[in-house]
Amino acid sequence: MGRVPCGRSVGGMIEIEHLTKRYGKKTAVDDLSFTVKPGVVTGFLGPNGAGKSTTMRAIVGLDAPTAGTVRVNGRRYNQFRSPMTEVGALLEAKSVHAGRSAYKHLLALAHTHSIPKRRVREVIDTVGLSDVAGKRVGGFSLGMGQRLGIAVALLGDPAVLILDEPVNGLDPDGVRWIRQLLKSLAAEGRTVFLSSHLMSELSQTADHLVVIGQGKLLADTTVDDFVNGRSGEKVKVVSPDAAALAERLQGPGIAISSPKTGVLEIQGTEAAVVGTTAAAHGLVLHELSIQRASLEDVFMELTADVVEYQQTRKEGVAA
Amino acid sequence: MTTTMLAETPATYSPPKQFRLSGLGLLRSEWTKFWSLRSSWIVMVCAAAFGAGIGIALAFDYAADADTGGEAAEAQMGLSALDVMFGFGMSAVFIAVLGVLFISGEYTTGSIRSTMSAAPKRTGVLWAKTAVFGTIVLAVYAALLLATFFVTQLIMADTPAGGVGLGDTGVFRVLSGYVVTTVYLGLLGLALGAILRNSAGSISFYIGAIMVLPMLMVQLPWQWVRDIAPYTPGNVPNTLTMPDTAGAQLSLGQSWAWMGVWMVVSFGLAAVLLKRRDV
Ligand SMILES: Nc1ncnc2c1ncn2[C@@H]1O[C@H](COP(=O)(O)OP(=O)(O)O)[C@@H](O)[C@H]1O
Ligand SMILES: [Mg+2]
Repeated sequence: MGRVPCGRSVGGMIEIEHLTKRYGKKTAVDDLSFTVKPGVVTGFLGPNGAGKSTTMRAIVGLDAPTAGTVRVNGRRYNQFRSPMTEVGALLEAKSVHAGRSAYKHLLALAHTHSIPKRRVREVIDTVGLSDVAGKRVGGFSLGMGQRLGIAVALLGDPAVLILDEPVNGLDPDGVRWIRQLLKSLAAEGRTVFLSSHLMSELSQTADHLVVIGQGKLLADTTVDDFVNGRSGEKVKVVSPDAAALAERLQGPGIAISSPKTGVLEIQGTEAAVVGTTAAAHGLVLHELSIQRASLEDVFMELTADVVEYQQTRKEGVAA
Repeated sequence: MTTTMLAETPATYSPPKQFRLSGLGLLRSEWTKFWSLRSSWIVMVCAAAFGAGIGIALAFDYAADADTGGEAAEAQMGLSALDVMFGFGMSAVFIAVLGVLFISGEYTTGSIRSTMSAAPKRTGVLWAKTAVFGTIVLAVYAALLLATFFVTQLIMADTPAGGVGLGDTGVFRVLSGYVVTTVYLGLLGLALGAILRNSAGSISFYIGAIMVLPMLMVQLPWQWVRDIAPYTPGNVPNTLTMPDTAGAQLSLGQSWAWMGVWMVVSFGLAAVLLKRRDV
């Protein structure tokens, strides 16, 4: 039972193995396996209903897996002697009794682990709720509720942070703040795992990405590889000789499209090849550039088949 | 090889060692939760005002009638000094509702998720809530019953019901019977809230099944239904508050035993469900 000092599990690592969770007939998570490592921010991406929240609840032992295991630091969550110092979680904004003040809510949680009042004040300051800490939570905005949830997660100064859609309801200042906060927490060697249904929220914060759809793993990769490795780069050419150039470039594995006359978008080759080909045939180029697919494009492409609620997805993108 | 691995490893973080989950911590947490809600105070004050208020009002009424020596006083000659306490029997419903809300409130607001993430073995939370709530009700009601007893004795000093002391036969037993009954019903509410996890549902169930059903049962034409009515969870403490237990359907000992049975059943079910269900 003792801790293995040099085991496979790095401190603070989340290991999910063949996790399946069913609610009645509904399979929310389907044989999902991945690990989340310390020291980096890992984004957990998937359309609404993909099973992100379910997975996160399973990590902190709130929902029991139908099959598979979830371990943090090599152990099941309910085996921890002091869970709040191992994992801090924000699972849903404003899950606080409306009649209680933010301070008392935090204090009650702090008492369970004999965390001093000083630390409660500290996290209240960190999340910027000092002015309203004594007020009833019922009057809080969604953004203030999120900040309180983040304070709860930080309270035990934990090695692992799990945040379910933490950006929801935050104003632009709040979004910038939380990005900085999460990056600095990861830089201290902590594990930071945050979910979102919007790629744009994660692209600037996360280093690593775990993408799921309908409870299944779609990708587990770095943000850079995710973009480059998926639909890859396109070479854009603006040329009065576009048609002639397209003819010369054709070949196996190369896809050429022309969004409008005089413009080509070429996939499956490199800018240098396009430039050399043009020069070899004396074709004029007005522009030669590399078009990176936006993260959102890649995400959309990846999840197009598995989006459960088309409507939700459209709203999500518009937001 | 090991050295290169170490060199590449970024900062490793180790969490603070001094923060530890403990039973005492859970008790303090539940204590803070209880007193940090305005509703706790309001319901407690209502229960107190109801129980003590009825007692004091009855005592004044009795004293006034005794003064005039009218028919009313004659009719009330059978009323003992302790009958003025009966408001406390009715005020127990406030405490039961408070017991329900103490746990169902966590489910309806969602704060149960942070509670159970902090204490993932879960049952510790239930026992801490039970201990804190039981102790608070016990202390508040003990003080309240004693105070009301002395005040009503003062008011009825010059009447036949006056001059009764705590040491007189049955007095302390009935007073503590009210306290125990209230604690029992409050805990029954708490267990119910833990089982049903829904405030409105639990309160309705308490009023319907614990309070009203036993009264209906004795009205029904079937003998066997009338026979089991005294053993229902809401009826078993009745003997405890009777000044004269001679005509009671359950003896004092049976009353205590059945209260124990219902506590074990309700909290056993609550604990098993708490362990097995998703939060
Ligand atoms: N407690 C539950 N009972 C029944 N179905 C659930 C429950 N929780 C989640 N689900 C279902 O499981 C699927 C995944 O949900 P969820 O994990 O919340 O997804 P996400 O957080 O990615 O939006 C959804 O179809 C949802 O309706
Ligand atoms: Mg979700």
